[in-house]
Amino acid sequence: MAMADTAPPTGTAPAKAPQVTTSEEDAAHLTTEDRIALLRAMLQMRGIEERAMSLYRQGKVPGSFYDGYGQEAVSAGAAFAMAAEDRLCILHRDLAAHIIRGVTPSRIFSQYMGRAAGVTRGRDGNVHFGDKDLGCVGMVSMLPDMMLVATGMAMAFKLRGEPRCALTWFGDGSTSRGDFHEAMNWAGVQKLPVVFVLENNQYAYSTPLDKQFAVDPVKRAEAYGCEGVSVDGNDVEAMFEATRAARERAVSGEGPTLIEAVTMRMHGHAAHDDMKYVPAEQVQEWKERDPIDRQEKRLTALGVDVDALRAEVSAELDAAVSEALTGPMPSPDEALEGVFCTGEATPLGDGHAPWSGFAQRGER
Amino acid sequence: MSSSRIDAGGMPADANESPGRMPGGADPSATLVDITMPQMGVSVAEGTIVAWRVESGDRVEADQTVCDISTDKIETEVPAPSAGIIAEILVDVEQTVEVGTVLARMAVGDGATVAAGASGGAGGSTAAGAGPTAPEATGPGAAAAGPKATLTAAAAPTPTAPPSTAGARGNGDARRYSPVVQRIAAEHGIDLSTVTGTGRGGRVRKQDVLAVVEDGGSGAPQPLEEPPLHIESPYRPDPPAPAATAAAPAASGAAPPGTPRVGAAGAAPAVPAQPAGGHDLSRMRRQIGEHMKRSLEVAATCTTWAEADMTQVERVRRARGVTALAYVARATVDALREYPALNAWLDGEQYTRHADVNLGIAVSLGEEGLIVPVIQRAQELSVEGLAARVRDLAGRARSRQLTADDVAGGTFTITAPGQFGSIMATPVINQPQVGILDFEAVVKRPVVVTDADGNDAIAIRSMTILGLSWDHRALDGALAAQFLSAVRQRLEAITD
Amino acid sequence: MATMTYLQAISSALRDEMRADERVMVMGEDIGVFGGAFKVTDGMIEEFGPDRVMDTPLAESAIIGCAIGAAVVGLRPVCEMQFSDFVSCGFDQLVNVAGKMHYRQGLAVPITVRLPSGGGFSGGPFHSQNPEAWFMHAPGIKVVAPSTAEDAKGLLHHAMHDPNPVCFMEHKHLYRRVKGDVREGVYETPFTARIARPGSDLVVMTYGAMVDVALQATEDLDGASVEVLDLRSLVPLDEDAILDSVARCSKVVIVDEANMTCAAGAQVAALIAEKGFEDLDGPVTRVASPDVPIPFSPPLEQAVLPGVDRVKEACRELLAY
Repeated sequence: MAMADTAPPTGTAPAKAPQVTTSEEDAAHLTTEDRIALLRAMLQMRGIEERAMSLYRQGKVPGSFYDGYGQEAVSAGAAFAMAAEDRLCILHRDLAAHIIRGVTPSRIFSQYMGRAAGVTRGRDGNVHFGDKDLGCVGMVSMLPDMMLVATGMAMAFKLRGEPRCALTWFGDGSTSRGDFHEAMNWAGVQKLPVVFVLENNQYAYSTPLDKQFAVDPVKRAEAYGCEGVSVDGNDVEAMFEATRAARERAVSGEGPTLIEAVTMRMHGHAAHDDMKYVPAEQVQEWKERDPIDRQEKRLTALGVDVDALRAEVSAELDAAVSEALTGPMPSPDEALEGVFCTGEATPLGDGHAPWSGFAQRGER
Repeated sequence: MSSSRIDAGGMPADANESPGRMPGGADPSATLVDITMPQMGVSVAEGTIVAWRVESGDRVEADQTVCDISTDKIETEVPAPSAGIIAEILVDVEQTVEVGTVLARMAVGDGATVAAGASGGAGGSTAAGAGPTAPEATGPGAAAAGPKATLTAAAAPTPTAPPSTAGARGNGDARRYSPVVQRIAAEHGIDLSTVTGTGRGGRVRKQDVLAVVEDGGSGAPQPLEEPPLHIESPYRPDPPAPAATAAAPAASGAAPPGTPRVGAAGAAPAVPAQPAGGHDLSRMRRQIGEHMKRSLEVAATCTTWAEADMTQVERVRRARGVTALAYVARATVDALREYPALNAWLDGEQYTRHADVNLGIAVSLGEEGLIVPVIQRAQELSVEGLAARVRDLAGRARSRQLTADDVAGGTFTITAPGQFGSIMATPVINQPQVGILDFEAVVKRPVVVTDADGNDAIAIRSMTILGLSWDHRALDGALAAQFLSAVRQRLEAITD
Repeated sequence: MATMTYLQAISSALRDEMRADERVMVMGEDIGVFGGAFKVTDGMIEEFGPDRVMDTPLAESAIIGCAIGAAVVGLRPVCEMQFSDFVSCGFDQLVNVAGKMHYRQGLAVPITVRLPSGGGFSGGPFHSQNPEAWFMHAPGIKVVAPSTAEDAKGLLHHAMHDPNPVCFMEHKHLYRRVKGDVREGVYETPFTARIARPGSDLVVMTYGAMVDVALQATEDLDGASVEVLDLRSLVPLDEDAILDSVARCSKVVIVDEANMTCAAGAQVAALIAEKGFEDLDGPVTRVASPDVPIPFSPPLEQAVLPGVDRVKEACRELLAY
């Protein structure tokens, strides 16, 4: 990922900003460049989603529109901890994960608009995409099906003795389905190198937690033989740290981790949902814990010119929108192609892994 | 004559039910045959007795008119299906009854058996399967058997002309052919009405039609040799006369059930050739004559001729298995589209052009006369399609299975008597049409041909003379010549 | 060449494939230590180890879902549904994740799903099904159904080589009842139909256990020459072979062991009605199990499943048409 123009001082101890939940120890894993990269990813996610929402209202985005407003840290932090050789199943409020892995904003806009340059070339919509060459599996709408795919990927890594892990996100609502149980159980039984990130954003569409489960899933993790940790999902560095630790456990053979990222869905389930069922106080309370605000405060305290970063991201995204708008729609002639693979089955490729910790390994 | 009601012979009421019970005067060993109300056209459902010409006990000859009837379409006469004695009359004058109703019964035969079906088994399927039934000979003097026996009350209202080629499905016809059977039949020019079916209910199976193909089948790609000829006439529902010897008119049996009659005066069945001695012209002969005469009186008939080089056609048609007539028909249809003035009717002052080309093809019925069945919407058919239709219509014409609709609506006629070697003719226009094309013999002649460099040479070519008789009331010679030239050009341009 | 049962042919395919390709693994319930409910994988764990002959939890959705995950990172998993009936528990993963992945994301999912199918031994409603039609109807999934030992091995090899999800319908009734000469080593049977017996008067089209039923029923049928076409591959369906048989025979009886409505044979019948109409000399006739769950008690089950007599009668009637 590109760095901000004004290079922050390196090696200085970061000043503690209020309400930061990372410890000194945690902070040691992240350089200032890393931190900036984390903020950048979140800014890009929010900026893309805001512009896409606008395009949606202009009628340029067909179908439904989902965003992860207020949850950016959950995907940015966790994805940042993934190595190039790791594999991700990314869900609909985790756009930052795609960005960190290397999918450009222009392609994402094209994807939303159903254009030929979209990641799925118009085959699937909104965030139902995954660039296979960057190690991402495109989600299906049935949740949490992807938990099992991630489990399977982890199973393969273990069978081959590879120090790699698989990671998937999923929501509080989806834990009620059978695939949650089957994945947790299988991962626990086989002690697989998989990280399950439960985005607990308080609502599954209009269904609040107390209608969803009797016992918080993270409390049930142990029952599956799975490590369970609960993290402030709006602290991107805490998310990073929790995931980094889970990855370590995974590749050391200690098995799966369920990370509960506590956060709040600040917009409706989708653009067509006005979330009237959410009490206004709850929204206000979480507004004050906005993940981008918090990371900006952190970086400002480190002397980083956050405004310049914002401006840079904004310009980048505006250009991406313009570029995407010039792209053609897919040709109807292609509608029937690609149902079957006719050549060789190519496995997922490696994604970008910008964390400095990977560079230090000297493997990339 | 009296139009007496029922059996003047005091016949018991239930005598109607039992074949073999003879009313007064008839031979007790003879058989009863029904005379039924005929169907004059597909849409006709009933008829009215206008007058009875006979009464119970009368001896009648075959084809002798027994009563006059009136229908929506035409007034006509009902003939006796064979020689015999009128046993009973069942329907009064001015009574209207449905088609197929028994009007009268007559006693026939001298005790010899009538063909199966006397029990009234002429359902649709038998009628369909019957085709041109050969009546069983029952000995001299006996009335013909067979078909008459099927002339029972169960005569089907619908004319049963079985479809014989793909695309020529009969209407409401019981005999159906599967797609593959139709295809094979069309490919090999087989008349499916002549194929015996061994499938369920007598259905023609694929194996059945293939067997015909292997046997060299009827009309396997061979050009039709028979000559179609001349003018429309009121055809009659005659079965082919079996053993029509010089002796007394034997088995001119009755029509297969349901075959309607057409023409102004309807149906006098043909009288087979009689020995020397004067005899009246048959009804058909009379009617043909009247039609011809009227045409010549009414129309300003002129004839124009053109020579056509048929060498290509001759070569190509053998490969295709069709007759030259089919090519002439197609060329004529195309030329009529180009010159629609010739595809018209002129009735008094009223001149009507037609969009469709309903092409009449004159079919000879031997000495009895001729008839002109019509290929409806001929413009929709290819050469092979026209060939198939001609075969079908000619076949049905000769087996007296044409319906009134088959001979109606013609807009132009082709007559082709060339098989006997004649080279030119002056055909008579088929009223109320305005043109008729005569296609005579194709003869090899030495002709002058010019090559690409302009050099002349003598070549042997197959030539024919096309004759067009046309009505000068409706058009002039120039147009006639142009039309004829258009036909010629198309024939000479055939390459495949 | 070796003479093998249908079951042995399947085992042989798995073994030979695993020897030849280290990416291949088999996974399912009770297939490892126990050797499989039908002993298809008997002895394999000893040769290949528990990692490659994996005893899974009782979780069909996970079996298929994990197979998908493993496949997209380079393994070639062959997962087993202990009875084909249980695939309904993994329907979502198979149809929505595996079937649609390549179309949506360009990502191939090279999994093979083995489905021991079919009835005839009092298995009752949940151990006797033939669910192939469900997956013929789902885009992105191939479906094959061998009827001979030779085809069982060859089709399974082909399925394992295919980069797409393939449902392999192995018929339980044929496991030990069908024997034949089978090539050794790795070979592929194409995903096409096979003429089990050539003929000209009528063709019976079917697959799986019904092939043998069809052959028996038409062996000596009043001297008629009856062709039997073993469809073998349901997706892709061998249209050319089907229409070729129709062109030659003109009369068609389609036999499904599965329930009549919307069975594989219904698709074949529709295809023939549309593209083979001109060659037909009679109505396309179907013999299938009626739309009832397969019953348990033998007289009930025999009344439901198509047998030699019903097929014979249908052929006789159509021949006479």
